Amino acid sequence: MGMPAVERLVNLTIALLETRRPMTFEELRRRTGYYPQADPASARRMFERDKETLRSLGIPVETRQDFGMEDPGYLIDRRTYELRGVDLDAEEVAALALAVDLVGGSELGALPLAKVAARAPDPTPIDAPPTRVGLPVTDVDAFAPAIVERRVVRFSYRTADGRVGQRTVDPYGIVRRRRAWYLIGRDHDRDGLRGFRTDRMLDDLTVSDEAGTFDVPDGLDLGAVVSGPDVSPIDVLLDVGPEGIWALAARGAVDDGPAEGEHEVGVRRMTLAGVDPVRDRAWLLGIAPDAAVRSPDTLRAGVRDALRAVLDAHGGGAA
Amino acid sequence: MSRTRVQPDVVRMLTLVPWLIERPGASLEETAKAFATDVATVRAELEHLDFCGLPGLGGGALFDVTILGDHVTVRMADELRYPMRPTAPEILRLLLMATAAERVVGSEVPGLRSAITKLHAALGVAAGAVTVLDAEPDDVVLRLRAAIAEGRRVRFEYRGRDDRSPQQRTVEPWVLELHEGAWYLHGLDTGPGEARMFRLDRLASLERTDEPAESRPPAELPRPAYAPGEGDVEVELRLVSAAGWLLDAVQADEVVQEGEDGSLRVHLRTGSEEWLARLVLMTAGGAEVLRPDGLRERVRSLTQEALARSA
Repeated sequence: MGMPAVERLVNLTIALLETRRPMTFEELRRRTGYYPQADPASARRMFERDKETLRSLGIPVETRQDFGMEDPGYLIDRRTYELRGVDLDAEEVAALALAVDLVGGSELGALPLAKVAARAPDPTPIDAPPTRVGLPVTDVDAFAPAIVERRVVRFSYRTADGRVGQRTVDPYGIVRRRRAWYLIGRDHDRDGLRGFRTDRMLDDLTVSDEAGTFDVPDGLDLGAVVSGPDVSPIDVLLDVGPEGIWALAARGAVDDGPAEGEHEVGVRRMTLAGVDPVRDRAWLLGIAPDAAVRSPDTLRAGVRDALRAVLDAHGGGAA
Repeated sequence: MSRTRVQPDVVRMLTLVPWLIERPGASLEETAKAFATDVATVRAELEHLDFCGLPGLGGGALFDVTILGDHVTVRMADELRYPMRPTAPEILRLLLMATAAERVVGSEVPGLRSAITKLHAALGVAAGAVTVLDAEPDDVVLRLRAAIAEGRRVRFEYRGRDDRSPQQRTVEPWVLELHEGAWYLHGLDTGPGEARMFRLDRLASLERTDEPAESRPPAELPRPAYAPGEGDVEVELRLVSAAGWLLDAVQADEVVQEGEDGSLRVHLRTGSEEWLARLVLMTAGGAEVLRPDGLRERVRSLTQEALARSA
């Protein structure tokens, strides 16, 4: 006979929370009546398994061996175990429930939400906007202890030009941008703020055992680290064939009338404002068969050079 | 009486106690809903909890769990009056979900901003440590959202991945979705009368009509992901490292490091050669199509066309 494992694990948690001083295995055994096996080694093994199960669930079972103690003692510190002081109101609980729903994460989000809202009032119902957001939040689980508990990380990193090097970083936070995750933090060797794409990290992440070893500077804009320097946006004039008009219109270009000069029928001159000549260059290349940059000259020349490079990479030939 | 097999969960049991202490008489159904599980599981876990408490000789001091009809009351459980702190991955996931939602619907959901601020403070995570920069809703998203709210059909020009020219569509809009940084509309394409997904950056000249939209979205909407199709062609590319971003835009079957310089050989399948050819153009020579010949030729001819147009 024996009690179900879940009951024993819950009760072990309660016993370790309620004790004022660390309890040795023998004390636990005496007080709870658990681990009754005649063979002490197998009783001990069962306790060790339970202890590891609780830790793997995030329950902070501490081992302490004070001076003069023959055996180690165990306890759970309430200050570490308990979540206090969230104080969400009904509207905020509803907003978080909606967020979890929107990101399609009720499976992942319900339990953490129940934890933070356990002592909050029930949500006031709100209408959900007809919107879904796909965000693979579990991708970055491995970085969670480092960010949440402020632990230093080390990893090998491959830069955009293919070089691999070791990095030691105080992880300040995580940024999601265009299908990529970036770990942002202070790079110890360069003593500067840097962003690291997580898909360029090699599979050797280590997280320091020590928590809280650095502070995150106030008012940091992590997004700015991955967005790069701001380039002044410019106005671009394009001659756009019939098949490109939709793409320009979709970006808010203004139709200035028929293009000058001899062209196929239906070519329009259009002005697209707010173009970032660096970040939008690839987009301009993608629509180049349908829309030719007329001005500014430097951008026109840059696009033509890039197109010639594409042609050269594919066997060259008459332009 | 047959019982479906349920899997009791220790952490959920430890969380149910403070949650129910705060909500005496909560129904099994609302409890199950709050924990994203089913009533049978909650009931089983509560039955276990009735045998839990401070263990000790003579039975210890057990919780008092009463299920009366459909309603639950938990007493004598002061040992667990506060919930467990979420684990680090749970904290990061919850903050990411809340932050992403705030960016997308923050203006319409009062309370989200302040909830995020409170979570950061209570969980000890620096403000701004979690940032989501994926597309903020633009004008097209907001206009579509309004059309959905008003139950109206919309009309727009749309160029699918394989179309060289746009086509006029009339659509009953259902749901907007932000996926991998791009916005999509799920809706009923009234032409063929079928459910379709539209990528909003391929859409132009959006108008709201006065025609009512009467169809309802199906319970399950597909995710906008590339699924290999029968007519797909196999493609082999060589990429210099500067064109590595192309891998973010496709789903590669195989990527092999080729040389010391960081160049890559990539195998992938595509259902749209036109789309892939334009992606190759976008790399400014950083990507070379090795096969098939048809795609290589398409890149050449598109490039020549573009150079002729800009001459």
